[in-house]
Amino acid sequence: MRSFLRFEVRRAMSNPVNLVFLAGFPVLLYLLWTKVLDLASGPVSMVSMATYGAMGGALFIGGAIALERSGGWLRQLAVTPLPAHGYIAAKLAGGMLAVLPSVVIVLAAGALLGGVRLPAATWLALPLLIWAGVLPFAALGVAFGYSLKGQSANIAMMVVYFVMAVLGGLWLPVSRMPEGLQVFAEYSPAHQAGSLGWRALDGLAPTGTSVLVLAGWTALFVLLGLWRYRSAAWR
Amino acid sequence: MLELTDLTKNYGEITALDGVSLRVREGEKVALLGPNGAGKTTLLSIALGLLAPDSGTARLLGRPPREALAAGRVGVLLQDAGLPDDVRVGDLVGAVAGMYPTPSILADPELEALAGRRVAGLSGGQRQLVRFALALAGDPRLLILDEPTVGLDVDARRALWRRVSGRTVVFATHYLAEADDHADRVVLLAGGRVVADGPVEEIKALVGGTEVRLTLDTMDEPGLRALPGVHDVVVEGATAVLRTGDSDATLRALFAGFGDARNVRTSGADLESAFVSLTGKGA
Repeated sequence: MRSFLRFEVRRAMSNPVNLVFLAGFPVLLYLLWTKVLDLASGPVSMVSMATYGAMGGALFIGGAIALERSGGWLRQLAVTPLPAHGYIAAKLAGGMLAVLPSVVIVLAAGALLGGVRLPAATWLALPLLIWAGVLPFAALGVAFGYSLKGQSANIAMMVVYFVMAVLGGLWLPVSRMPEGLQVFAEYSPAHQAGSLGWRALDGLAPTGTSVLVLAGWTALFVLLGLWRYRSAAWR
Repeated sequence: MLELTDLTKNYGEITALDGVSLRVREGEKVALLGPNGAGKTTLLSIALGLLAPDSGTARLLGRPPREALAAGRVGVLLQDAGLPDDVRVGDLVGAVAGMYPTPSILADPELEALAGRRVAGLSGGQRQLVRFALALAGDPRLLILDEPTVGLDVDARRALWRRVSGRTVVFATHYLAEADDHADRVVLLAGGRVVADGPVEEIKALVGGTEVRLTLDTMDEPGLRALPGVHDVVVEGATAVLRTGDSDATLRALFAGFGDARNVRTSGADLESAFVSLTGKGA
């Protein structure tokens, strides 16, 4: 199955649309928030936008699955020795690897264009924390990929992506939201993913709550994905 | 190699397969011949474990189909399988070949010329060539092909069949000529049943020949039926369709005996109408 894994990784890394979407757009938003509108602090916004981009990259692994399901490629794979879990594993590996460069680009934009200055150890920790934080979205993406077909999956995920990012306080801080919403917001996966990086800015390790909440969301989305996968299989 | 026993499959009210059994031995080249909707694709999907039958069993290389596919000695070309658009042909074929215990990349100048191209820019025929290369990527003992030459020109068809030679093959087609040229056994499928199963010559006698279409002012069905070579007559109002094994003799006698025959047209046997007459006999 290694040949297919290599194939998927190369494919994900050489997709220019990914980079524009996952890095270009967050960088523009970062510059808009901090330079043009002067609404947010540089480092926090940088982490938020890197998380926002990474989250999209993880979610849209499912978009690729939905497209390949409707395009008939999965039917072709079904008659090869590749097991179904091998396909999902390769998609996740390729998709999650492709997230890393986009995170690095947004952070680099923070350092080079935004003048963010941080200790070297923090610069090293940030991409890894952000990357690990968006894992639940990869699982959610797979669940979407096996629920909907073709473009409808992408449209549905765009909506979920946007709502989750806003609710999680990646666009504007949770503290500015109405109080009733704040409770939901704080336990939402995007907020917890962001908090890993935000705390790292102050030199703090992730809280146990963050880790637990993220693990909980991941488990929930994996179960959802398994259920959707079982009912959709290769079709 | 392939063993199907008493398969039935219904889609709601529609019966796709109605008790089909089929056994294919090593070295055979079997054409699954039938009009669209005869159940060919359903049959192959069940044989490959892509679809569960309502009843009956399917075994591939002596085991359940999914296991046989996982073991990698079956090559399959599906009619509705797609390819990812954003990848290069060479990478795609290499990745799929790498999944098999015995990887084999089709040595074909046309395929090699496509290696650096992205799938998105390929023509229908080129895509089919790539799909075919994927089917052969594991050097299979058994090849299962669903309408393999759709979208291919004459040269490409010939090239495809040349590469198939030497393997056990089961292929679905709705072209009698293709079955004639490339199979040594034909299984005739219509309305979800096997209506005939035998050597090509036998099946050709059943469905082959020429069709003669004509208009008569005063219809004389027994008279038409008595013409030399004619083995079937279908009458619709003033129009009659004759199926004949010897169109020259039939036409000569027709013009001699039926002064009022008009609008006479001949065409190669139309498989669809042949099936109607074949299955109509059983009803």
